[in-house]
Amino acid sequence: MIPHIMVQAVLRQSVSGLYTDLVTRPTGRAVRENIERDLAPGTIAVMDFTGVGCLDYSCADEIVAKLVRDKVKVLLLRGLTEAHREAIEPVLAGAGLAVLCERPDGALEGLGASEPAPALLDELVERRLAARNPGGSIRFTAA
Amino acid sequence: MTRLVEVPTQFDDRSFDQFAAAYAQATDGERLLFDAHAAEWASPYGLVGLLAAGEAAARHGERPLLTAPANPDVVSYWARAGFFREAGDLFEVHGKVPRTRPAVESDVLLPVTPVRAAEDVHAVVSTIQQRASAILSSELGLDPKATMGFAMALSESCQNIVEHAGTGGWVAVQAYNWRRKLARRVVVIAVADAGVGFRHSLEPTQAKRFGERWGDAAALEAALIQGTSRFRDPGRGQGLAGIRRYLARWEGKVAIRSGTARIAIVPRWDDDVPLKDGLPAFPGSQVLLIIPEQESGGGGGSSQQ
Repeated sequence: MIPHIMVQAVLRQSVSGLYTDLVTRPTGRAVRENIERDLAPGTIAVMDFTGVGCLDYSCADEIVAKLVRDKVKVLLLRGLTEAHREAIEPVLAGAGLAVLCERPDGALEGLGASEPAPALLDELVERRLAARNPGGSIRFTAA
Repeated sequence: MTRLVEVPTQFDDRSFDQFAAAYAQATDGERLLFDAHAAEWASPYGLVGLLAAGEAAARHGERPLLTAPANPDVVSYWARAGFFREAGDLFEVHGKVPRTRPAVESDVLLPVTPVRAAEDVHAVVSTIQQRASAILSSELGLDPKATMGFAMALSESCQNIVEHAGTGGWVAVQAYNWRRKLARRVVVIAVADAGVGFRHSLEPTQAKRFGERWGDAAALEAALIQGTSRFRDPGRGQGLAGIRRYLARWEGKVAIRSGTARIAIVPRWDDDVPLKDGLPAFPGSQVLLIIPEQESGGGGGSSQQ
């Protein structure tokens, strides 16, 4: 079973108030620690950003980069806005890390450093969690 | 003994060094009188910088005095910008100050707001997204998607206080017509604190690397240009790098003053110098971000400045 993390719900559990923005290191740390509690090391996880407002670089690093670096094997992000991508991409690229991102049309693509991304896609295909479309794109099939 | 510190009549980042020079003359134990009676205009940078000076002065002596601007329009504007709400806690204020609430519908996108903890940054980001979106897209001609980047830049600027200053600070955001430089609308973010400053914050991890060059200018260069942080965590130092990327995309400007130095990423429309050292010492850090109306954008709108 692949864990699906609804980031906005975790944010609400993690910090007091009704914030929809993922900003500041302490907030990012609280959210990540909440997520980590339910994740086995080396797992494959889906993280859904639907409903999340602003995501700053500190939170992108504190949540996404640290989960990829220390906890998960493959992280698939969905529900990303362009602004979310703009925060996550340089943070991952600067650390030589990558995640997979599900585009609105369902196709998967790498986000972050270009080198590790193909191996992440291969991992999902090998585990039959994703399949290649006739057009060559790869779609997540485990959801 | 009371020492007079004159507030420049046009108080912004350009005249700030004149203000800092007067402030730097003070010695411990002296009571300071900040004289703004002749002030005709102050940018958000001037307002938050004045609060930082007040906080630092109170730490080293008696509660400082502040003479409010004599011009009713100016003092009213300072009140609407939220300045006196904060100044009342720091200064013994003299002069006629209107009991105006900080503006809610105007070019004051974010009145002078204290930043002490992560919760304050959340509140600031939430407020700015509600209020800045229309101005950024309709008046500055920025892509509506740029609003989120603006909130990110604001968040990271404020976090410098929470993470590095060792004390609280203030942020203010305003939009106005910038006739002097551009003849275009701009949005200005100003953040100031009277904390430890960049040199002190980075000294334990960076001083050795710079050797004899180490000082305020080298610390600013390390932070803004090289993206270094006092934390050894490999993901640190993202904030200022992100701000630079955002401003480069929208032809904006960032300038940071700390201690005796000031560094700037200078866009083509400006003639500022990239690095100044040997300035009059001033406590903490003062950050200025300017995002101009895009040349193909809509523009227009009323101005208070």
